[in-house]
Amino acid sequence: MTAVQDTDEIRRIEAEAAPTRFARGWHCLGLIRDFADGKPHSILAFGQKLVVFRGEDGSINVLDAYCRHMGGDLSQGTVKGNEVACPFHDWRWGGDGKCKQIPYSRRVPLRARTAAWPTLQQDGMLFVWNDPEGNPPPADVTIPRIEGATSDEWTEWRWYSTVVNTNCREVIDNNVDMAHFFYVHGSFPTYFKNILEGHTATQVMKGLSREDVRPPAKEGQPKLLGNTSVATYHGPSFMIDDLTYHYENMDLQSVLINCHYPIDANSFVLQYGVIVKRSEHLPGDAAEQLAIGMGDYIRMGFEQDVQIWRNKTRIDNPLLCEEDGPVYQLRRWYEQFYVDVADVQPEMVERFEYELDTTRPIESWRKEVEANLARRAAAAADQPQPA
Amino acid sequence: MTVRADNRFLDTPMRAVECRRCSARVEVRKSSWHQTSVQWDAAATAACHERPHAQPLPGPNGKFFESCSALQASIQEAALGGAVPVPDDGY
Repeated sequence: MTAVQDTDEIRRIEAEAAPTRFARGWHCLGLIRDFADGKPHSILAFGQKLVVFRGEDGSINVLDAYCRHMGGDLSQGTVKGNEVACPFHDWRWGGDGKCKQIPYSRRVPLRARTAAWPTLQQDGMLFVWNDPEGNPPPADVTIPRIEGATSDEWTEWRWYSTVVNTNCREVIDNNVDMAHFFYVHGSFPTYFKNILEGHTATQVMKGLSREDVRPPAKEGQPKLLGNTSVATYHGPSFMIDDLTYHYENMDLQSVLINCHYPIDANSFVLQYGVIVKRSEHLPGDAAEQLAIGMGDYIRMGFEQDVQIWRNKTRIDNPLLCEEDGPVYQLRRWYEQFYVDVADVQPEMVERFEYELDTTRPIESWRKEVEANLARRAAAAADQPQPA
Repeated sequence: MTVRADNRFLDTPMRAVECRRCSARVEVRKSSWHQTSVQWDAAATAACHERPHAQPLPGPNGKFFESCSALQASIQEAALGGAVPVPDDGY
């Protein structure tokens, strides 16, 4: 017997090590309310330890956590006035990174300056600007305002945070990955378009509610039909999702945040938050309950992602079919944040549009949903009737 | 990090399309009648007549420009005329 010669070459998965450089851009560290207790907070980010503290003047500051004197950990220290005091020898550091005083010394030595990160407090969130070149944030690189975040007509942030042990490119890739929304998250996309331009990457998605995944609406409850979502990354790590749920008798508006900051090359802190617009259809604390419910549902979604990420391999040469999104072009866009500003190439920032043809996915997924419903109905018919 | 080439674009490359309204030149690829990729450059973005008059959409992400209708029509014509090939496999 002769072995059949396979003329097709086996495709190899290729992957370079994750970059050790961290992205240039605004990174959300979390909600301001969680840093506002007058204590220093320890944050592992950008391969370093940072201290976040709010001074008496209300400003929130971010410094390298290690005291330039003898290396004490400022995040274990105390806030005194507008300064953080080192627990080792009480050296006092201001939000501008300068040592303001050493109580036991006549004067502060020269060069008593540590690394300070520019911060932004906006819509209840705290952001830090990371730039390996050390430049301040350009005026045109901003995080847009979220009207609902400061309005009584919307709920407060429902916020979640979790550590994920993989490189953060995985979470970025999702922005163009239509099919995973069906297979991993139980969504049913029917329209999908990406627009990459400048420092933003937008995903426009419309979808149907999956009857085979969500429990049917209870008696008297409105039936969920589908959703419309415009999700934009503003820079390398902060995505705002303007998400509207369409019910039989109403639209429900929400804003979802999906953001992260790198701990090191192979782990990141994933954070997400949700606010819901109050409406006449949501009496009493129904909007809050809905925000909680949505938040829990989103948490389930990210847990599904994490389960995939935990077991998958990094891949630089994904093999794509025509019904996949623009993974390579998204990564080309993402690359702009990992090179010096002078090395940002036109193709990283020039506008690229990619609209998916959902005809075949819809055909295929309709059949799958029907099969799931038929299986569920058959299983229910087989159940013995309660006595 | 080196970003590699999209395997799909190696097999069927993009074709130049000129907008009938503003003469902006973009690169286009279609894998079906309903799928379209459009690569703009700075000159094309600057040339677009529709973009400066586009009303921002409501919401925090409303500033983005969703699409140029004149360019879409030009791409449709280019596809129908054969200048941008469309695989004929029933979709």
